[in-house]
Amino acid sequence: MILKNTPIRQKLMAVILLISGAVLLLTCAAFIAYEYFTFRKHMISQLSTLGEIIADNSTAALAFDSQDDANQILAALDAEPHVVAAGLYDEEGNLFAHYPDRLALNSLPSASAKKEFFFENGYLHGFLPVMQSNKQLGSLYLRSNMDAVYARFMLYGQIAVLVVAVCILLAYFLSRILQKGISDPILSLAETAQAVSSKQDYSLRAPKFGEDEIGFLADDFNQMLERIQSQNQEIVSFNQKLEQKVEERTMQLAEANKELESFSYSVSHDLRAPLRAVNGYAKILEEDFGTVLDDEGRRLLTVVQDNAKRMGLLIDDLLSFSRLGRKDIMKSYVDMNGLVKSVKDDIEKTTPHRAKVIIHPLNPLVADRSLINQVMVNLLSNAIKYSAGVESPVVEVKSYKEDGEVVYEVKDNGAGFNNLYVDKLFGVFQRLHSNEEFEGTGVGLALVKRIITKHGGRVWANGEINKGATFYFSLPDNKST
Amino acid sequence: MVQPRAVPSKEYQIKAVFLYNFTQFVEWPANSFNEAESPLIIGVFGKNPFGTYLSETVHGEKISGHPLVVKYYSKVEDAEGCHILFVNQPKTTDLKKVLSQLKSRSVLTVSDASTFIQDGGMIQFLTKSNKIRLLINSEMAKASGLTISSKLLRLSE
Repeated sequence: MILKNTPIRQKLMAVILLISGAVLLLTCAAFIAYEYFTFRKHMISQLSTLGEIIADNSTAALAFDSQDDANQILAALDAEPHVVAAGLYDEEGNLFAHYPDRLALNSLPSASAKKEFFFENGYLHGFLPVMQSNKQLGSLYLRSNMDAVYARFMLYGQIAVLVVAVCILLAYFLSRILQKGISDPILSLAETAQAVSSKQDYSLRAPKFGEDEIGFLADDFNQMLERIQSQNQEIVSFNQKLEQKVEERTMQLAEANKELESFSYSVSHDLRAPLRAVNGYAKILEEDFGTVLDDEGRRLLTVVQDNAKRMGLLIDDLLSFSRLGRKDIMKSYVDMNGLVKSVKDDIEKTTPHRAKVIIHPLNPLVADRSLINQVMVNLLSNAIKYSAGVESPVVEVKSYKEDGEVVYEVKDNGAGFNNLYVDKLFGVFQRLHSNEEFEGTGVGLALVKRIITKHGGRVWANGEINKGATFYFSLPDNKST
Repeated sequence: MVQPRAVPSKEYQIKAVFLYNFTQFVEWPANSFNEAESPLIIGVFGKNPFGTYLSETVHGEKISGHPLVVKYYSKVEDAEGCHILFVNQPKTTDLKKVLSQLKSRSVLTVSDASTFIQDGGMIQFLTKSNKIRLLINSEMAKASGLTISSKLLRLSE
């Protein structure tokens, strides 16, 4: 349809105008056609009447061979401007008189004794017998132009154009008024729908104009809006409740965490004092009464001292772990190459080992320097510790960028672990190996996870028993931000 | 008396036709016919200039049911029963006598005589630029109870 994209008002208007225009044109055409045929008949009857009169008047002229009289009679046709030619024939068909004087005689047809009328070459031709007392004295020929028809049709045409124009105008104004009954409800419905979708305002309602299909449509539309509105409200209130709950829980959680931290801090702190006493008195015992004690006594004293030392380490780790929760991180640019190198050197100073440590070029970081240092200490010393048992231990450190993160990995070829328990690795006091096998407090990896998580990063690991382990941590690539 | 020629001159052929044509443009009173089928008599008084042409022309013709008959008269008295009387070359005295004789009868009198109308005749043939024209005294005809068609009267000079 041509009107596919035009507004509905114009569509309606066009439909109305097209229909009324078509009906009017058809009516006018039918009327003009009817008039055309009746007027032709009328013309024939008029010319016939005129002819009868002329023929009747011409009888004496023909009977008494008076051409003058005949010409006079024919000259009366002057009064009838549509009659352009006439001829009077005698009994034998010879031309007796003609009209008008200047007429070219060869333009007249030969006589016909019958009465007949026909349209030809844009003229109406007529033949009539000239009769007197039932005796035919000759015949009359008349030729009329169609000017009357044309003039009449010109008039009809003008009237038709005027009528059509007036009617179309009337139809236009009427349709302007009447189409509102259809288009206004639709348009207001459309406007409401538009407003709803653009403002996302589901409290709007479409006005209803009547109990027709459009009215029902408006009702349905409003019902839909109502449903959406109430559902929206439900969702919103549900969301609000949910948020509130989450906030509450988060607060509770934070509080619990804080309590836990301060508890563990004070516990570890308070544990130190008695431990120091144990240690101090053990040392006094060793120094002052070492000679008094027999071998078994000295061995037991060493066990006490070792365990006290181990407990001290445990407390230290616990303290640093819990301290981390209370401390804010101070971010700065960290050259990882230098950091890892110094960590390696520090470890080698305190713990002699056989491992070959390969440090690949590392990406720099923006992070808390001391915390990252702690992470690298833990990971690197773990790697060295757990690879100590193999023939030629190798520890590798490298980093790379992946999916907007900087990933660091520390890999060893040592004891490894069963991947099934990988989840337990990073838990506090969670150990996959016994203390006899490898020394440790079970806090190191938990600390690593805590530090990296605080930086917004992730930790994970990969391992296989006796084939080594790889520990990864990743931080958001800050260079891009 | 000279014997009439069998074929008359062109002039008289036309006049013969005219005489016949008069029957179509003139109405006679009903009492001039004895019966509905009584003949309409065209009379020729005096010398017959038409030969047999006139009787041939009207032969078999009928006007309003009246068959046309041509009669030739030499006495005025005989001509009283005719309807059209052509008076050929009368002497003035004869003419007056004929006309006065027929005055009370419904007879259409026709003649070539140049004073025919003045003398009380009804239709006089004239020859004008080689054409035969008519002079008609409609008063006279009316007085005799004849009705001459206006169409015919139009042709009167």
